[in-house]
Amino acid sequence: MDLYYPAHKNKLIALFDLCVLWLYSRFFALLIALFLSFPKRNRMSHDNGIAGTGKARILKNPLIPENDFFVPGREFPLRVRQATATFLDDAVNDIRAISIKFSDHHFDSPFDMELNTGETSLFWNAASFMQFAKLREEAHAVCYVENIRNYPEGASGAIVSLRRAPDSFAHLKYYSQVVYLFKGKDGVQRFAKYRVVPFVDVQEPGLQVDPCEYELSNQRVAPHESKGRNYLKYEFEERVKREGVKYKLQIQLITAEKNQNPEVFNNMVLWDEKTSPWLDLAELEISNTLDWSESIITTFSVNNMPKDMGIIPAKSIYDYNSLNYFRAHSEIARKARLLSLKIFGMVKPIPDNDNRNSEVWGA
Amino acid sequence: MNEQSKDEIIQQCKKETKIYYIDGGRFFSPKMRGINSLEVGKSKIISSPLNILIEWVYFQYTRIRSLFKRLNNWLFPRRPEIVGSIKDAYLTGSLVFPSRYPPAKPIANMPVALWARTKLFGWRKLAEGYTNESGVFKLEFDLREAVSWKNQRKLIFEVHEISRIQFNEKQPYRQFSVFHSQKFPKSDLTGMGYTLREISLGYWNYRTDTTIPRAKLNDDDGDPIQSYSQGREDAMIEQIIPIELTKLKHLEQIELDPDSISIQSIQADYPINLTQCLEKHLPGYSRSDEWFGDRMMNGMNCGTFVKDPNEEGVFIMKYFGICDYDHNDIYALPDVIIRYRLNEKGIPIPFKITTIGALNSLNRDPWQTRDFTPADGDMLWMAAKRIARMTGSLYVEVDQHFTGTHINVEQYAIAAYRNFRRSPLAILMLPHMQEVALINGGADKLIIEGFLPEATAIKASGLLKRTKDVLGMLDWKGWKPMEPISDAHHYARGEKLFMSVIDEFVDKFFTENIDEIIIHWDEVYRFSCDLIEHSVPVFLSDKSLDTMPENLRNQYKERYEYYKAQFGFDDSVKRDSLNGELKTVSRITTKQAITAKDTEDIENLKNACKYAIMQATYMHTWINENQYDELGEVLYSNGGLRFGDKESGVLVPENDLTVAPTPEIATKQLWFANFLSRTEYGFIVSNEDKDVHPDFRNALLSKKEEFLALDIDVNAIESRTNI
Repeated sequence: MDLYYPAHKNKLIALFDLCVLWLYSRFFALLIALFLSFPKRNRMSHDNGIAGTGKARILKNPLIPENDFFVPGREFPLRVRQATATFLDDAVNDIRAISIKFSDHHFDSPFDMELNTGETSLFWNAASFMQFAKLREEAHAVCYVENIRNYPEGASGAIVSLRRAPDSFAHLKYYSQVVYLFKGKDGVQRFAKYRVVPFVDVQEPGLQVDPCEYELSNQRVAPHESKGRNYLKYEFEERVKREGVKYKLQIQLITAEKNQNPEVFNNMVLWDEKTSPWLDLAELEISNTLDWSESIITTFSVNNMPKDMGIIPAKSIYDYNSLNYFRAHSEIARKARLLSLKIFGMVKPIPDNDNRNSEVWGA
Repeated sequence: MNEQSKDEIIQQCKKETKIYYIDGGRFFSPKMRGINSLEVGKSKIISSPLNILIEWVYFQYTRIRSLFKRLNNWLFPRRPEIVGSIKDAYLTGSLVFPSRYPPAKPIANMPVALWARTKLFGWRKLAEGYTNESGVFKLEFDLREAVSWKNQRKLIFEVHEISRIQFNEKQPYRQFSVFHSQKFPKSDLTGMGYTLREISLGYWNYRTDTTIPRAKLNDDDGDPIQSYSQGREDAMIEQIIPIELTKLKHLEQIELDPDSISIQSIQADYPINLTQCLEKHLPGYSRSDEWFGDRMMNGMNCGTFVKDPNEEGVFIMKYFGICDYDHNDIYALPDVIIRYRLNEKGIPIPFKITTIGALNSLNRDPWQTRDFTPADGDMLWMAAKRIARMTGSLYVEVDQHFTGTHINVEQYAIAAYRNFRRSPLAILMLPHMQEVALINGGADKLIIEGFLPEATAIKASGLLKRTKDVLGMLDWKGWKPMEPISDAHHYARGEKLFMSVIDEFVDKFFTENIDEIIIHWDEVYRFSCDLIEHSVPVFLSDKSLDTMPENLRNQYKERYEYYKAQFGFDDSVKRDSLNGELKTVSRITTKQAITAKDTEDIENLKNACKYAIMQATYMHTWINENQYDELGEVLYSNGGLRFGDKESGVLVPENDLTVAPTPEIATKQLWFANFLSRTEYGFIVSNEDKDVHPDFRNALLSKKEEFLALDIDVNAIESRTNI
């Protein structure tokens, strides 16, 4: 009987699996801290972004089990960061993200949530994430060629999650993809996925329609694209200033079962919306944008979650929940970057020059 | 001499000239490596004692290696059980035939498997399955078992093929072998899917350097598509070596001391053939009209007799010579029209032979016509019959033998191997389709590009064009065995009788397996599509007759009409057109799935199978078996009489050696005739490789006496075209 991803039947192997997972996650976080976060002051990804503030108001929805945190009518200060995942160029074909924080502090918060475009991702567990990282081999914004060639789900994830030069961050839909715990006052164990969608439904821009299979790795700015290198951040800044940006935070729930089918945790498998509809959870209103420095130091963590709503325990690197396990164990990298920023100063903003398709700072 | 004793002598000679090699050789007897070592000139014979010793050591090495392989298989068997309990990951990809232009054609229903080897060399099967109709495979496996520390670093993906169909008692089974394997690191597996993408396999692929449907053998690169059975190789090597040594001796002699050799001495060095034997016992009979007619009817030629519409009781036989194919100016090869009347025994007796074409080097007019009758005197009549035998031999070898059986069967073999796997049709067809592509590959080198352009009037390019033209008259639809013209027409009676054996066997097979055949009808659909797509155009359908000179146009028309009669080509049948070409082979089915009610499709399939089996067995055996009888005496018959430089040209007696083949060609011809007729292997009755369906064998044996009455030995009929 297991509510979560099944551990190996052999207890010794199960223990070995746990050790491998722990070691991998620590080692990976250490590598990021030592070679990326501290010396270069980079995040592992999503460096190219803009932060904003506002408020989050929990909505009343009888379909959402009562719980101590999402209390209808409750308001939280809100900090969000909208970003492009990989490149320091807004016009590329890339994953876009929103990270939300129910506080107006750059680090601390009772609830953080990191969401990306696309209902599914390009990886599904720690093993596939490591492979994804290993096979990046980026050159001039062409990357993950082998990953996309070798992994069908990686390719389908790329199709659904990349957005080519969208007109605005505010028109995109963002998904948590991975699964979180959710336990209400009724004590029933549930699992949850989150998403953030525009408050008023709009046609999502930048979608890939009938993409060419062997062009999926090409994230370069389209030929003759007239949008600038920072256009998306500028557009967001101006939009917030002009009319504000309003999103809905939605939740999808599924009740845990004994001998749980592990595919429930698979971020590549969509939950049936008939049995697990998306429910409106909160209203997010962004009324102000933050400057470059504040945007850089604003960080998010899956460890910033209310009790009973955190990450699901993982058993091995093949466990779908190991993705969040990795995230949870990457605090050292997060802290190393902030420390480095304090010691070495702020990184320079991305210039509006013609160095397109770039992922290199300072150029 | 009365008729009875004449028949007895003929029978005696037939027995006498049937050669069996019982000498297995001694240690230092010359050796040969395999069929591919054969050459028209000097084959690769190993005769030096040192080389024989080295060869022996190598042979022992291969034996030990194979012993180790067997030991390895015994120690580390591939157990059929699949390890693992859950299927939480999958390996995918697709198998396609190579193609210059995408999309490549999928390889459907191909068995595939995923294996791991343990660090202690054991085998662990992780998954198995088949490709689907799009050539896609999806092998679901237990991820933890695949990435287990017990396994070696790399996993093995294998594509299996049916290497042989064999019969255990009456139960057929498919013997599989690994056609292609590829390894990939287990560390690449992370759950969900892992794709090997599109794997392009040179599996029974069509050659792209010819418009004739031919198999790409992958001899030099890639995974070879087939190999001869060991028994076939051994039988050939054992029987060919003495003949090969004779040929080598002659070639050396011709090179070093040409005056020391003559046609007669060459002839004497080879085993005696039927006509020589007859001459020994019945002088003059082998050149008689009766023997001529009998051999044209029941010998290698097994010619087609068309009733003369203008004269009651007269039969016409035609052999077409150089036509408009690329040719040299050394040899004569006129068209020949022979007119016969049946004698009281039902044997056709020639009374008029018409030649169309040059007979000497002085007048090259290709349309000159000459009639010969016995009234012209012995010398001219004998010469005319010799010319008829010459053109007839080449016509039979190229049109009926090489094209009608070898190439014709190959097109069915390619389509069958490409598509029949799960359907019972694999069991029905593959035993009869095996090795034909291999021997045809050898024939390209040895015969079409080797011997024939050297020894006859037609160049290699002409032969290839001719092959394509004749293939354009060969179709399963509407084909029927030849109608006998008399009781003495043993060939045609045998053909009908053998067809009845095939009818009985195939009908029974269909009755017993129809459900499975219907379930896997998609394989039939693809088989039919492959046949049509690669079929040559119908003869003349791609030519503009109106723009041709009148003589050539008439010759084409005449050929078309005669081929129709000879090859049973029904031009009223509706055929497919593809890319502007009217395809010769008729469609078997238009449906990818059928029910038992689709009787027309099932009947089409049956007829196509029967046709292919008939061509691969009886039709090929007959010509092949009788080659040495006809071509085993150079002065009696050959593929090319030289024009010489006299006005008489080829109209000279046999003893005028100025037009006869040169000694070099003579020894090569005799070597070929021996090689082709005497190295047969894979008979239906003796069933050496245990691959003949017992029902087929039993049906044939049940008619043994009927065949014997037609002077046909059922033991000599081969189950496949492999020589």
